[in-house]
Amino acid sequence: MSGLLVEAPGSGQDLAIEVGGLHQRYGNFEAVRGISFTVQRGELFALLGTNGAGKTTTMEVLEGFTRPGDGHVRVFGLDPWKDRRKIRPRIGILHQDAGFLGDLTVQETVTLWRGMSADAGRATIDNALALVGLESKAKVKVRQLSGGQKRRLDLALAVLSRPDLLFLDEPTTGMDPEARFATWKVIQDLKAQGATVLLTTHYLEEAERLADRLAIMHEGSIHTYGTVDEVVSGAGDQVAFRLPMSAAQAKERFAEGLPFVQGIAPIVTYTAGGTQVVYTLSEGSEAARAQAAVRSLLAWADGVGVTLERLEIRRGTLEDVFMRVVGEVR
Amino acid sequence: MRTDVLHAVRLARIDLTMLGRNQTALFNVVLLPLLIGWMYTTLAPEQSIEGVPADLFILTGLSGMMLGFVVFVNLVNSFTARREELVLKRLRGGQSSSVAIFGGAGLSAFALYAFQTVLLSVWISRLGDGGMPSNIPLMLLTGVLGVAVFALIAAAFSGITRNAELAQISVLPVLLVVIIGSPVMGPLSVFPEPLQIVSKLIPTTPVTEIMRTAYLGRDFIGDGGGTLTVAEQWIEALPSLGVLVVWVGVAALLARWLFRWDPRHG
Repeated sequence: MSGLLVEAPGSGQDLAIEVGGLHQRYGNFEAVRGISFTVQRGELFALLGTNGAGKTTTMEVLEGFTRPGDGHVRVFGLDPWKDRRKIRPRIGILHQDAGFLGDLTVQETVTLWRGMSADAGRATIDNALALVGLESKAKVKVRQLSGGQKRRLDLALAVLSRPDLLFLDEPTTGMDPEARFATWKVIQDLKAQGATVLLTTHYLEEAERLADRLAIMHEGSIHTYGTVDEVVSGAGDQVAFRLPMSAAQAKERFAEGLPFVQGIAPIVTYTAGGTQVVYTLSEGSEAARAQAAVRSLLAWADGVGVTLERLEIRRGTLEDVFMRVVGEVR
Repeated sequence: MRTDVLHAVRLARIDLTMLGRNQTALFNVVLLPLLIGWMYTTLAPEQSIEGVPADLFILTGLSGMMLGFVVFVNLVNSFTARREELVLKRLRGGQSSSVAIFGGAGLSAFALYAFQTVLLSVWISRLGDGGMPSNIPLMLLTGVLGVAVFALIAAAFSGITRNAELAQISVLPVLLVVIIGSPVMGPLSVFPEPLQIVSKLIPTTPVTEIMRTAYLGRDFIGDGGGTLTVAEQWIEALPSLGVLVVWVGVAALLARWLFRWDPRHG
């Protein structure tokens, strides 16, 4: 599926980002293996993936840091490597890891950045700091900030010039929940004002909450994509229950194994509270299939004389899809 | 172009602000070379060198050696530390061009060098036979070329320096060559033969000779030692300026080849 085309609705004129068949190598290692996707103007597109999936490499190509390998890459219709100087004033970048001049204060840092950003003249330092909740830290040296506070300062710099396109590489890493919510609000506000956002994150909840569309990358390829609903609907429904017994008891009592349901093997997790059993039904399963699965499980439970605690039918989650993608490839 | 200049000026101002907050670095790059100059004057073996009082001869030639400290050591440390701390990555991710980022570093180094030269001139003017420089434009041009050479060499050197701690050590060989090989304490002709060869090859020699000539208005580039008019100083300095221009080209190639924006791993 490495050549999967993730096409945004809309014409080429509406596209902020176009990536077609991008391959990116570092020596013998192929970090990105022929990915394709487009991001429409005003859209928030999330790239999800494990460490080393190729998200940051893709970002760095789009940001103009790395010369694209094979394939087609355009940002606002321009080559991000060759037309870097034209593109940069229109984009904001929040790196996964970028340093600060630690001896400068927060205020001096924002002032410096403002002086070097087009269209940042109208953004006041106070507004920028208020946006990320760092007003009280204006006079504090950057090296004295916590990791989460540095991340917020990062965000303030990235959005200072009100960019048309914002690259956010794991923006909330290291933030406490309150700061994370505040950051999501900033991102949503920018998007509401028309900004396009390309986001990478490890936090699936973040993608579910913010993204219009997302793609799951693994080992340099895009494995699934679409709106959150489209991706999650592909996860299939789940039937889950708990057996009130320890791992040893469960293994002894069900030596021949737990039953298959509609040809599907259970995923069993042993915890202190009991044995958790989950069946993930086929992609796009319907209610009738779930009911049939429950009926067959109840019949099995009656037959072996066991109680199925907390029996439930639940919708698959983004996490399920993510884990399945990662598991499939492994 | 205008944007690049503006960005370079802003970056240079920030560089100077931060240097002002780091007293150790400030001492090393600004005061240490002047202290070495003072030490040289106390160690001078003779009362006069080439017909000039020894202290005057030494101090007017100190400018070449100063480049080693205020530009080379300063910028190798700065480039290496900023690369490893990912500050260069941030700067490069902004709207400033590479030219502006390098230009800012070079500009701050030049400002420091100019400040140091002014201090040195004040010092020289207070010596018995000292006075004001004879040819300030020639000094300025030589200073610009000298700073450009050493800023570019510093960029190249930072690329082969693993981290900020090692930068303290990796600069030493160059610094030693600059201190020993520059004709600060005497003309090239009094150096031992092998050192003369080294000295002729390093860029601090033309800087030292031109600066001394431009300051005293006498020929310390050729063999004469005679008084020169301003025009004659320019003519006499031309070959040495040419050498510096060649050095700028060589250093630019080295910087292009060796400089790294991203941290060295492994």
